[in-house]
Amino acid sequence: MSGDVVRQRHSLAGWWVPLAWLALLLALSLGMGLLEGPLRVIEPDSRDVLYVRASFLALLGQHVMVVGLASLLAVLLGVGGAVAVTRPAGRDFLPLVTQLASIGQTFPPVAVLALAVPALGFGTLPIVVALLLYGLLPIVRNTLAGIQGIDPGVHEAARGMGMTPGQILRQVELPLAAPVILAGVRTSVTINVATAAIGATVGASNLGDPIISGIVNGNTAYVLQGALLIGLLAITVDSAFERLQRRVVRQG
Amino acid sequence: MIELFDVTKRFGEEVAVDAISLRVQKGELCVLVGTSGCGKSTTLRMINRLIEHSDGEIHLDGQPVRTFDEVTLRRRIGYVIQNTGLFPHWTVARNIGLVPRLLKWPRAQVRERVETLMALLGLPIEEFAAKYPHQLSGGQAQRVGVARALAADPEILLMDEPFGALDPITREALQHELLDLQARLHKTIVFVTHDMDEALALADRLVVMRQGRIVQQGPPLELLHEPVDDFVASMLGGDARGLKEAALTRVRDRMLPLGPRLLAHERVAVDVPLNQALSLMLWHRVDRLTVVDDDDIPIGELSLRRLVGSKA
Repeated sequence: MSGDVVRQRHSLAGWWVPLAWLALLLALSLGMGLLEGPLRVIEPDSRDVLYVRASFLALLGQHVMVVGLASLLAVLLGVGGAVAVTRPAGRDFLPLVTQLASIGQTFPPVAVLALAVPALGFGTLPIVVALLLYGLLPIVRNTLAGIQGIDPGVHEAARGMGMTPGQILRQVELPLAAPVILAGVRTSVTINVATAAIGATVGASNLGDPIISGIVNGNTAYVLQGALLIGLLAITVDSAFERLQRRVVRQG
Repeated sequence: MIELFDVTKRFGEEVAVDAISLRVQKGELCVLVGTSGCGKSTTLRMINRLIEHSDGEIHLDGQPVRTFDEVTLRRRIGYVIQNTGLFPHWTVARNIGLVPRLLKWPRAQVRERVETLMALLGLPIEEFAAKYPHQLSGGQAQRVGVARALAADPEILLMDEPFGALDPITREALQHELLDLQARLHKTIVFVTHDMDEALALADRLVVMRQGRIVQQGPPLELLHEPVDDFVASMLGGDARGLKEAALTRVRDRMLPLGPRLLAHERVAVDVPLNQALSLMLWHRVDRLTVVDDDDIPIGELSLRRLVGSKA
């Protein structure tokens, strides 16, 4: 019992790492002006070195929202799909779903954007679709691996004890597969934090804006500001997932 | 009571179980034994409908198993498998309480039942209740597996090579515990194994299977004395059958009361099987042993002549 308490406290204490990254990210979003000096060294010829067309905090909010929405949909679709094809009734579709998810990832998000814009118009929607497709594979693959990796004896016992298929899924399969699924979500979300930047090309304003604008105007300082914040966001998210995984893995 | 009438299982073209009939009486420990692939596990799993039979009928207390809802049926039947199948993310106590919880017993009653079972299987609560399966030894894990199977007090227990993965010493200890439990609980047990010594030690009724058919069934001693064919005879140990039989008889059954003669120097416990007594005689090169009780007090003697059951 006392061991649990100690472990609990320990795991809470560990959250300072992602929180520190988050604090740095927010501080930089609000106080990018403090970096004006170093930025001017990089880009001495430009009149403006600070991206001011939108507040970084607003861009960050947009970025998080787009990635969050796409990831949420990817988790629902990915975990749902993988669970469906591991049921007896859906087993025939297992190869199909695996292939579709692989295609989703090999298909470049830029190409998805190009194809999605005519259908969905400019703005946030095409980038959400592109990120959703791109982020699906790690989630599907890991959910499948997690469920299929469960000791067959455990499954046999669960059935033999008289658990219903729903009880087996909720009480046995998902909890046991959770660490592997979470690892897939972590990969998916972290990749998409970076990939979301290309949304700026189709008018979804987010942290990609300064980067695209910097490339168009030949202003490296703009690019750097966008890249810095995206990098910090990716690290924040990744380290938060790392903590989350530790909590889930607790019972090995 | 479990009854099988001409039960057949086909997987595609292949016939795994071929028209077998079997009756396991209430309170009987029935052991299905045979080489791998003989259909013994399939037979067991058809009883709780983990596998559906293709033909014939399986009855529990006169009612066909197909008429039960399969989930309800399984909650009424205890099930123990070789690799325990304990849920690795649940504590021992939670694992044991699984079926009572599925049956929606009140929380306090579940806890009480778990405590009773842990005591019954020699698992001290303070030490084991909060442990996870990976922290247990093989023997402890299988005790938990048995406790889980017994949790909702089922009348029937199905055991699929439950001790197969354990080392010989632990296996023997668990066999004895199972017999002790059975002497107290009187469950109807179907036990599958490929280990003939285990089968002989446990069985009230021994069922020898081969290629999906029952070759012979009956009490162990009957099969030892009158095997129907060479297959059964060789399964039962061929020329070593004498020793197998000796393993089923205790010194108590053959000893004589203390006579006027001097006590033999070498001693043997009264509850030891005859094969061990014979081994002692061979080892010490003597033909007479003093039989002692649990307190090492002489209560009789056993001669080689008595041991072999010679009529003269």
